[in-house]
Amino acid sequence: MSNLLILVPFFSVILLSLIFRVKMKGAAFILGAALSVLQVYLAIFYSNAVWNNSPFLFSNFLKLNLVVDNLSRVMLLSIGIVSFVTVFAARYIIRDEGERFNFINLLLIILAGLNGIVLVRDIFSLYVFMEVVAVVSFILIAFNKDIRAFEGAYKYIVLSTVATVLMLTSIALLVLIAGSTEFSAVSQAIKNSPHGMFVMSAAGLFICGLFIKAGIIPFHGWLPDVYSEAPPPASILLAGIATKTVGIYTLIRLVSSVFCFDSRINYVLMFVGVVSIVVAALASLGQNDFKRMLAYSSISQVGYIVLGLGCGTPLGLAGCVFHLFNHSIFKSLLFVNAAAVEFKTGSRDMNKISGLASGMPITATTSVLAGLSAAGIPPLSGFWSKLIIIIALWGAGFYGYAVIAALASILTLAYILSMQRRVFFSKLPEGGQDIKEVGFTLALPALILGAITVGVGILFPFILNTFLSSFAFP
Amino acid sequence: MDANALNIFWPFGLVIMMLFSIGIYCILATYNLIRALIGIELLIKAVTLLIIVVGYINGRTALTQGLVITLIVVEVVIIAVAMGVVLGIHSKNNSLDSRNIRNLKG
Repeated sequence: MSNLLILVPFFSVILLSLIFRVKMKGAAFILGAALSVLQVYLAIFYSNAVWNNSPFLFSNFLKLNLVVDNLSRVMLLSIGIVSFVTVFAARYIIRDEGERFNFINLLLIILAGLNGIVLVRDIFSLYVFMEVVAVVSFILIAFNKDIRAFEGAYKYIVLSTVATVLMLTSIALLVLIAGSTEFSAVSQAIKNSPHGMFVMSAAGLFICGLFIKAGIIPFHGWLPDVYSEAPPPASILLAGIATKTVGIYTLIRLVSSVFCFDSRINYVLMFVGVVSIVVAALASLGQNDFKRMLAYSSISQVGYIVLGLGCGTPLGLAGCVFHLFNHSIFKSLLFVNAAAVEFKTGSRDMNKISGLASGMPITATTSVLAGLSAAGIPPLSGFWSKLIIIIALWGAGFYGYAVIAALASILTLAYILSMQRRVFFSKLPEGGQDIKEVGFTLALPALILGAITVGVGILFPFILNTFLSSFAFP
Repeated sequence: MDANALNIFWPFGLVIMMLFSIGIYCILATYNLIRALIGIELLIKAVTLLIIVVGYINGRTALTQGLVITLIVVEVVIIAVAMGVVLGIHSKNNSLDSRNIRNLKG
């Protein structure tokens, strides 16, 4: 029944556009929120066996060989949480009802696309769902139709299409070797192929394309522009889950189950990861735009995920998946806070806004939680995932990388604290007293995400025994 | 891949290489937004041809035909959205020159 995860959002878009378009545009909000809550519930409580079992009625639709495993369920959970947050943020920030209706329709299409990426086991279907997500992302970025957003969207379109071309070339070469596009067949063919360099060049092309899609450092040109210029709910969605699923989840899936942790690929991944961590953290220190700083911070955290993946051990894989989940939570929380600040003050320049902590206590508190989690301060969730990644690196014998990853946390702390001090905890400017807390619909997602950050950190032993052990000690 | 397959591949391979280099040159050399999109189209056409040739060599023509048809549909959608964005830039900026849109830096 996992095909329902793709079919239901698509059919709800059709339903919304056919029936509710004329009157009752509020139905979009209810449907979007209900679908994402349902997805969170199902991802947590339904076991893999239930997902992969196909009752007679549903098994005849969308025969794409969809499989749910633990990694997919983690991703489904994050996608559900972030889209729930996005629906609420759109409700608060997009005031015009028609535009909000369009936004939530696009959100539902992107939800179907992301679920598809997570579920398929076939490189070409993977490509098709990635393009669904990419096309909807282009529209979401340019949603407000101002010139800066168009510029960001154009950069993203060009780079994303170049990435697509690289991946398609790789798909063609893999089909030449394997004669099929299934993950298992391709993996077998790669193992048995006598043309080692040829296979590695195909894999390298695919990974380069994924690096562009994920915005890792040598290919990051589009990412700060897109994250900072997209409308606030869209940047929550893109930064929280969309580029992470398209780039990073796919990288994890392919490296772990198709390319099978080839040591040459692992060296490249680790090197690129460390460069991303350090360079993006340094770039983040110099930013004055709130969302642009968060975008560079996002690149830096993605570097940790890639570093953990490149370590190649099961513990590294566990740390990388855990950090992917944590990152989607705290980064979308930081973007929710940025949206609240931008909505209330009308500016994103950190030199102009200051002293918001007294007026906006919920936003300030949750952003401190998210920032400390990103920097890896002990009781919060981000600490544990970084710790696992560093332990995995040390255990695999990469001492230098482990030391750099640990020291780069100080850089993260530096830019997070600098942001907090400038935006929330400095002196109030003249006439800044009348800035009040945001309304319930934007405060609720911030509170939920903050609670998840704290809760995952405190309940870490439970998570270690249930979720992480399935990756680390399968 | 035996020698016969390589003999089939070479003429197609040359055309694919040419299309690739023309497309990349087109993207890198031009300042016009629409010409950059044409370069992207050329790149995708090169890949489409590559997939067809792969199916011909491999004997998996049914699979690759399915891939190519899907690819053509997806590509049209992408170019349509990209043209929408270019139209938006033109209506705001009255120019299609990429040197005139440099608001985002740093």
